[in-house]
Amino acid sequence: MKRLRIDRWTGQLLLARSGASPASTPRAAALRSAALSRCTAVRSQSTGTVRQIPKEDDYYDGTDHTRFPPLEQLPPKATSLPSPPPERALQSAKLAALHARLSLPERLPLQTLARALVDASADENPQFNNTNLAFVGQSLINYHVAEWIMCRYPRLPMGILYAAMKGYAGPTSLHHVARSWGVEHAAVPGGEVDPGLLQFSMHKPGDAIIGFGYRRAEADGMKKHKWRHGMSSRVVFDDDFGEVVDSEEAKDELQLRADTEYGNEYTRSLAEKAFATCARAVTGAIYAHAGRDRAKAFIKSHVLSRTLDLSRLFAFKKPTRELSMLCAREDFEPPVARLLSETGRLSRTPVYVVGIFSGKDKLGEAAGASLEHARTKAAMNALKSWYLYSPGEGVRVPSDVLAEDAAPWEPAYIDMGEIIGH
Amino acid sequence: MEAMVTRPAVTCCRRVTFSGPTSSRLVLSNTATTLPSGTRQKSTAARTRGALNIPPHDSFLNPNSSAADRKARPTTGQIIYNPPSSAASVFHTPFIFLPKEDPRRRANLGSELFAASTTIHYPSNNKNTTTTTNTNQPQSQTTTTTTSTNPNQPSAAAAATDFPSIEGEPRYRARHHLTKADIEEMRRLRASDPVGNSVQALSARFRCSKLFVMMCCQAPPEHRDRVQAELDAAKARWGPRRAAARGERRARMGMLFNGEL
Repeated sequence: MKRLRIDRWTGQLLLARSGASPASTPRAAALRSAALSRCTAVRSQSTGTVRQIPKEDDYYDGTDHTRFPPLEQLPPKATSLPSPPPERALQSAKLAALHARLSLPERLPLQTLARALVDASADENPQFNNTNLAFVGQSLINYHVAEWIMCRYPRLPMGILYAAMKGYAGPTSLHHVARSWGVEHAAVPGGEVDPGLLQFSMHKPGDAIIGFGYRRAEADGMKKHKWRHGMSSRVVFDDDFGEVVDSEEAKDELQLRADTEYGNEYTRSLAEKAFATCARAVTGAIYAHAGRDRAKAFIKSHVLSRTLDLSRLFAFKKPTRELSMLCAREDFEPPVARLLSETGRLSRTPVYVVGIFSGKDKLGEAAGASLEHARTKAAMNALKSWYLYSPGEGVRVPSDVLAEDAAPWEPAYIDMGEIIGH
Repeated sequence: MEAMVTRPAVTCCRRVTFSGPTSSRLVLSNTATTLPSGTRQKSTAARTRGALNIPPHDSFLNPNSSAADRKARPTTGQIIYNPPSSAASVFHTPFIFLPKEDPRRRANLGSELFAASTTIHYPSNNKNTTTTTNTNQPQSQTTTTTTSTNPNQPSAAAAATDFPSIEGEPRYRARHHLTKADIEEMRRLRASDPVGNSVQALSARFRCSKLFVMMCCQAPPEHRDRVQAELDAAKARWGPRRAAARGERRARMGMLFNGEL
């Protein structure tokens, strides 16, 4: 192991920590003398005793302040705030880099971008966290994703539509989007950390409401007894992804272990939520400062450009029956499964290629290890190619009409509905 | 020349192993007269290669050639129909699945865009049958009928009916011929003697599908319990292998429905 040669380090490395660390603040020094932990020292706010702090000269952390002056002069009482004050946003290199990396419009100030990085779990004050920006952003993202899916794949069943919505605009996807932007998070939120870091608490979820949906009266029974809830009630009650709005369940044990472990399931879920909220808030900030078109372009390039294989989202129960019902509904000839080719019927690994025909038109084709498997798979492929019909790549969406010199709107293709309710 | 002599000997030997003792004596004496050196085995590489030289599969042969010529592979640039190694993408919508107002259907691009991938064209002698079925499905059939009579189509295009159907024709098509009195009678019969009037027997008697019988009537509960008890007793006799095989088969079917296979 190499010896660390601290004398060769630059002053920046040594001092960035001393500026950001709660240990260098006078209040922390006082609390340390009171034998309290560092974490609680930063995050306990505005008690009467804390105000009467001994002078900074009392505490010496070993740094030569004349030789290594602090990089950034913190404003007074910055460490007592739950999140960085907005005026510090102009000094943050990380924030400027993020602004440039995302090619955000000039009209979006750094202060707003800094506010988009403060989660409600870090700062409960809605005037300083990103709750309202995220609400706007969530509504915009879900609107654009939903209209795009509806116009691009007009025959998708409701369940698949919900799954596709979640695949594009769900918390996991937006979490990955925000990570891909290079957003990093602070270990512990506070007024003294760099404003370019995402700030959220690993201990509490925060009480920001950034989506629609009702809390069901029977939610507990649904969770406990696995009560069935149909698609119609999901449309009415549940959130934009058709999932039951659930109160944050108490994960006390995981919550207690959050400090001692490197990270657990609970902290990961909190991080995912905070990153997704950050991505939504940036979208909302673009909408607020630069307008509708820039926000739409941003959503198109960051959310809708992601690849999602819609054909993998399907699951069927009785595909052959569903297909014959489809053919009866649409006045096609009844489907017939025909053997196109086979090999190794008497061997251990036979392969049958079965096509499903309606009259002379082939609806679907699949290969399988038995006749029944191949037939079922071919029926599933035929159903998928029905449901995944698309009018074309560059299909227009209703919000295209809002542009300046847009052609008048022609009605989109609307399907009559799914064959069997799932 | 040697090979021509030894071939009947080899077949004779095979016949010896499969036939009874009386005929074997005859055969053995026969080979002994023609071949004094005894039976020769397929031991050399040349004979092995000759034995493996089997004629190509029928799909590689020219169907219009003479019987003597069929041994040879086709030398012309003829297209051989062999199914592709992977199924077509589900994002390629079959022609009849396109809605009426779709520009691809309106432009009648069925012959060009969809000929290779999804639509199978009849040979021109099937034209009469398509025009008869044409009466009740006006739009979708007209477009494809015009393409099927197109003289530019290759004559070797396979018809859908050339491929064997793997599901038998349904025994009873829905004719809606049963009245309310018939259904009442069916229920009465099923309730009076559920063993004699099984679902299959009722289906044959009333000339309707078994599904329709099961939709109409239900066996009395004691009969259902008895059948269930018989089924449970049969299941109890399964060993671990059979039970595991059944479970695996069911799991595989579930995976198939979820698109995991």
